[in-house]
Amino acid sequence: MCNKTSLTAGLAAFAALLFAGGYAIADPDKAGKVDFSAMSAEELAEYIILESGGFHLDAAAQEGGSMRARMEQDDMQKACSVVGGGKPDAATLEAVRTAAAASITYPEGGIQLGDWQKGRELSWSGFGFRVGHRTDEHSGNRQPGGNCANCHQKVSDRDGGTLGPDLTGYGKTRGTSDAMLKYVYDVIYNAHAYFPCTQMPRMGANGVLTQEQIADIMAWLLDPESPVNQ
Amino acid sequence: MFKNALLALPVALALSVTADAQKAPEDVLQGLIDSIESTYLTQSEMNIMMMPDSPALWLVDDGRELFHEARGPNNVSLETCDFGKGPGVLEGAFVEFPRYFEDAGRVMDFESRLVHCMQTIQGFTDDDPAIRTKHGNDADITKLQTYVASLSNGYAWNPPMDHPMEQAMRDAGKVIFYRRAGTMDFSCSTCHAATGKRIRASVLPNSNVPEEWTKAVSWPAFRVGHDNVRSAQHRVSECYWQMRHAEPVWGGTGMTAIISYWNDRARGQPAILPDMKR
Repeated sequence: MCNKTSLTAGLAAFAALLFAGGYAIADPDKAGKVDFSAMSAEELAEYIILESGGFHLDAAAQEGGSMRARMEQDDMQKACSVVGGGKPDAATLEAVRTAAAASITYPEGGIQLGDWQKGRELSWSGFGFRVGHRTDEHSGNRQPGGNCANCHQKVSDRDGGTLGPDLTGYGKTRGTSDAMLKYVYDVIYNAHAYFPCTQMPRMGANGVLTQEQIADIMAWLLDPESPVNQ
Repeated sequence: MFKNALLALPVALALSVTADAQKAPEDVLQGLIDSIESTYLTQSEMNIMMMPDSPALWLVDDGRELFHEARGPNNVSLETCDFGKGPGVLEGAFVEFPRYFEDAGRVMDFESRLVHCMQTIQGFTDDDPAIRTKHGNDADITKLQTYVASLSNGYAWNPPMDHPMEQAMRDAGKVIFYRRAGTMDFSCSTCHAATGKRIRASVLPNSNVPEEWTKAVSWPAFRVGHDNVRSAQHRVSECYWQMRHAEPVWGGTGMTAIISYWNDRARGQPAILPDMKR
């Protein structure tokens, strides 16, 4: 994932603060001995997640490494987590937007629409990256999907969710100009480049989808032949 | 189904004589449906129809027997277990969790407290099936939990906030609820901070609407899709799995903090116990 330097610094400062208070934070057995009520809610939340043994952080993650890395927030996740809801201030949003734009990499030879039929399956599949009682085993014939239909309504044959905007007929009015291809690619790759602190996952920047898979999903959205646009 | 309905009748009758439980779980749900426009509460007509025949009502019966039976290495019942309102007081105890317990020195969710009593009173150890088996209708923990929870049906959620630790866990739980992380940048609030939104065909409950949220946190519930009764911890675990986050440890600090915030968000609204869910 993205830059974790400022987070690491923050955690170090937090650990120092705890240590100064005399708490033995590294030992999960001591979790009950630490004075939770002396911490701020934010400090306690970090302590609970990363230090108290409250989560299975040592489990293996599909992308390599352990689940601890997933639970440590990167800069965007930190900036966009507003307790109680809402968005951060304008300067923070701009910083998130700038970092997102810089995170995007493009296919060699430019952005082209892929295979809408593959895109259809990818947009429906909610498989991948789940860890716990039933861990998703990524393999040659079962790769992570795009999860698009969880939140987006696209066509009438299968029910999509409504957390994200309705994308029915998405390509009809937008066409397939180079500018449009870049925009849709960017939004799938890292939508924060246009909508900082959006709920939309960073499918490219977080390594959920490959450039080729993004091209297939783009075809599902934009290809005039795709049922999305019929 | 017909057979179930017949057999469930004595259970329904037994429920109707408990304190404040003139209402069956489906009546509590109906009261909420009448009080607010909510596509979440009304999303499954079939589940609402099935509630009087809920297999969870069987577990209430089984759990009652288990609770009062002398069991474990110490051969005693759980009748002296203190769920926070005094030894043996079960009515309305379930909706006052999580709670700080002096004898344990920490805030406990209901399931942790139940296990604590099974260990300290009955002498069960972590290796005994009674404690080790945590999942499914056949687990003692599921039966006992469903029984004690049923004695809070219709009671308003009222997790205590007198102890600083209870407040600390609730407040940390709120931060965790809004804390984005993982492969997909999700937090609990991604799905539970707006009204009437759906994941695919499923309508999601809004944590900011207590009349909806009380159903969301009303576990144990018969989970139709699983054909088993599940607990709040199952729900939390499944959400974390879907979020692509690390799994919370059963009975651990993360689980307790999250459930503290959950139940606090439903404060004042009646619990549906046991509930039926998709």
